[in-house]
Amino acid sequence: MTPAGSTNRSWSSGMLRTEDWWSVWVGLGIFAASLVSLAGIDLVGWMARPRPWEWTDLTSAFAWGKLFAPAGASYAGWHPLAAFAATYLIFAALFALGARSLQLHVGRFVKGFTVLFAVTWAAWIAGNELHLTMVDAAVDGRNRYSEAALSWGLQLGEGAPYLLALLAGLALGNFAKGFAARHLGDAARPEWYIKTAIVFLGVNLGAQTLDASGFAFNLVLTGAAATFVAYLFFWPIVYALARRVFGFKRDVSAVLASGISVCGASAAIATAGAIRAKPIIPVTVSMIVVIFAMLELIVLPGLYTAFLPDQPIVNGAALGMTVKTDGADAAAGALLDELMIARNLQLTGERWEAGWILSASLLTKIWIDVFIGVWAFVLAIVWIRKVEKRGDAVRVGAMEIWFRFPKFVLGYFVAWAVYFGIATVWPALAETLERGTAVVAGPMRTMLFMLTFVAMGAMTDFSKLKGAGKIALLYGLAIVIVIAPIAYAVAYLFHRGLMPPLAAP
Amino acid sequence: MTARQLVLSFEHGRWRACGDGVDVSHSELRGLEALLEAELSGEVPVDAHLAFDMSGLPRWLHQYHGHYCNYTLHVARRGPRA
Repeated sequence: MTPAGSTNRSWSSGMLRTEDWWSVWVGLGIFAASLVSLAGIDLVGWMARPRPWEWTDLTSAFAWGKLFAPAGASYAGWHPLAAFAATYLIFAALFALGARSLQLHVGRFVKGFTVLFAVTWAAWIAGNELHLTMVDAAVDGRNRYSEAALSWGLQLGEGAPYLLALLAGLALGNFAKGFAARHLGDAARPEWYIKTAIVFLGVNLGAQTLDASGFAFNLVLTGAAATFVAYLFFWPIVYALARRVFGFKRDVSAVLASGISVCGASAAIATAGAIRAKPIIPVTVSMIVVIFAMLELIVLPGLYTAFLPDQPIVNGAALGMTVKTDGADAAAGALLDELMIARNLQLTGERWEAGWILSASLLTKIWIDVFIGVWAFVLAIVWIRKVEKRGDAVRVGAMEIWFRFPKFVLGYFVAWAVYFGIATVWPALAETLERGTAVVAGPMRTMLFMLTFVAMGAMTDFSKLKGAGKIALLYGLAIVIVIAPIAYAVAYLFHRGLMPPLAAP
Repeated sequence: MTARQLVLSFEHGRWRACGDGVDVSHSELRGLEALLEAELSGEVPVDAHLAFDMSGLPRWLHQYHGHYCNYTLHVARRGPRA
């Protein structure tokens, strides 16, 4: 018997049955709770937030409060462990509620989530040790690296926790495969965590729009322009490469072209559905996409930071066009954001405002995601009429565009519009609004990014590349010789010279 | 014109359409559609609305896209138009 929730029949299908919709409910639910601060009640300040710490200082006089503390001022009296417990219990309960609606095994989900949460927090806390984060540069006349009297430092800035989370996740996925498969499978859902974090990012975009509206709208528009490039250039080039050089069949080539050039696994599935391919094709392609996205996440942020440190927004937008899957793109954007800020601080002594490079990466990717529905609809009509020549016997409804629309984008823009709307209509509330939502846009969003890093690592098994043969070779070649260079050229065309605003002293 | 609501799935290497008293399967989609056209020939013209059942795809894949495909197969009075 087919579960009622596993097919789309009306416009509201899946509202309680897909991770995409649940990212909207969890994200907007917490954002709504944070808005209660406008009435003077802090409902989100219980969230624990790691603090910068130094090893010798901690071991000489241990205190939990040196590692983490409640994020909200109203909860300053709480013991740090109480804030940590509240953070775990509330997020575990929210995601377990979603897991129940997604018809997952709730017990297994909670166990897996607990492991991922513990690894995430271990990496987050460890990654805030000053030898990893502190940058040797004078800011506003002070050099905190010198003040801390550190004898050495990796100077990774806030990127250090992300790198540790990624390494921890990859260790789980590749050196504890059996454990990861048995215990983490239900909870290792990077797309769910990152989409929820992206809804939170709508708050950041709202604040950014208030600070620099021209810049923010420029990012939105150029992101849309970059989308055309992704569809009009990448797709035909990769399709031709797959057909003529690698000799793949039409259906495999089309699915590969979408997976490699558009938006990864989502595009591979949408395209395969549109051209009525057997599901085994997108399953295979998606597996390769997920593994390559992880490789891109590992390589590209470091590469751009090392060789192109003076083009922050170009680098962010190029990532958005190059890295496939929302999870890997947002994760790579966040890592690039932190690494570039630290590198620029090192080189110039100026600290860029956080989040702009990530926004450049994300806004590019979001447009690409939004148009996959339209692309799949057009492709379905072309395939049925021109390739299969089925005439009027087979029809595809325009409702397919809605079914394929990424719903988390609605959450992202609703959060942005509500924040921007409140601050614009009632300017007197802007400061309270910023303070009240800071926990959502800050530590909550960062924790979900960290969770995404760990979950992605845990579900990435590089040994799956063995036997992938021609598909993996085509993927690698296309990324290196087609996608990455063209993406960078287009990003440079639109964004060259754009710099994030400087952070307030 | 009548309409049938069917669930489309892919199981063990075969496409399957079932629901509303219909249950047919074939290794190729075109073959499945031919079977459906034969099955529904007694009530032409008829639209068979096929909605793909995502539960047949691996769970880990659902997080990337929650939808495979829906389409309508129109069975005309004088056999298939294609």
